[in-house]
Amino acid sequence: MAFSKFQAFYNHPAGPKTIHFWAPTFKWALNIANVVDISTKPAETVSYPQQAALACSGLIWAKYSTVITPKNWNLLGVSFAMFATASYQLSRKIQHEFTNASTVAKEY
Amino acid sequence: MEILRGFWNSPIGPKTTHFWGPVFNWSIPIAALLDTKKPPEMISGNMTAGLQKFMCGYSALFMRFAWMVQPRNLHLLVCHASNETVQLYQLSRWIKAQEYFLKKEEAETQGSKD
Repeated sequence: MAFSKFQAFYNHPAGPKTIHFWAPTFKWALNIANVVDISTKPAETVSYPQQAALACSGLIWAKYSTVITPKNWNLLGVSFAMFATASYQLSRKIQHEFTNASTVAKEY
Repeated sequence: MEILRGFWNSPIGPKTTHFWGPVFNWSIPIAALLDTKKPPEMISGNMTAGLQKFMCGYSALFMRFAWMVQPRNLHLLVCHASNETVQLYQLSRWIKAQEYFLKKEEAETQGSKD
């Protein structure tokens, strides 16, 4: 039973014998790097244009993965995750700027 | 005019995601191109050196993906081909800088010994 499921995955048109599998799998490393940055780097180091570009491109690629042949759920997952992590980074930066702006105001 | 209309109504034209996905992906090679103006010491930071080696593999994979996907996406192929070129250039700069830095360290240690 399990072996037949594995076979179904292995022989899938977007399975591990094809580029349709490995390209998005490689992209997961980019996501993981972003997540590592969230936990290790301070909010000041977040780059607005970079994260905005990642968020927009993540969203567009999520849509793209549903209109191509073969339909690529792996790419959908990684693109949506990209959008989520980049949006979180943006929210971190915006929050940081808000709190800093309010402390500056209090000083005056 | 016919060419423009053909482009506008194309199944991989600006009314579809097949067009806009690669448009956003151009930010990667453009950012890398801007980085080529910076000195090679900046590449040798651990994050950027690792990222940039990663990018060489990433764009190679996505070039193949762009070719094999249906509909074939030449726009994406060109985007990743240019990124691959820039990243390999950056890699070559980093390698050259490594040799330069090693020689610099040797010269300094020799100078301090004298």
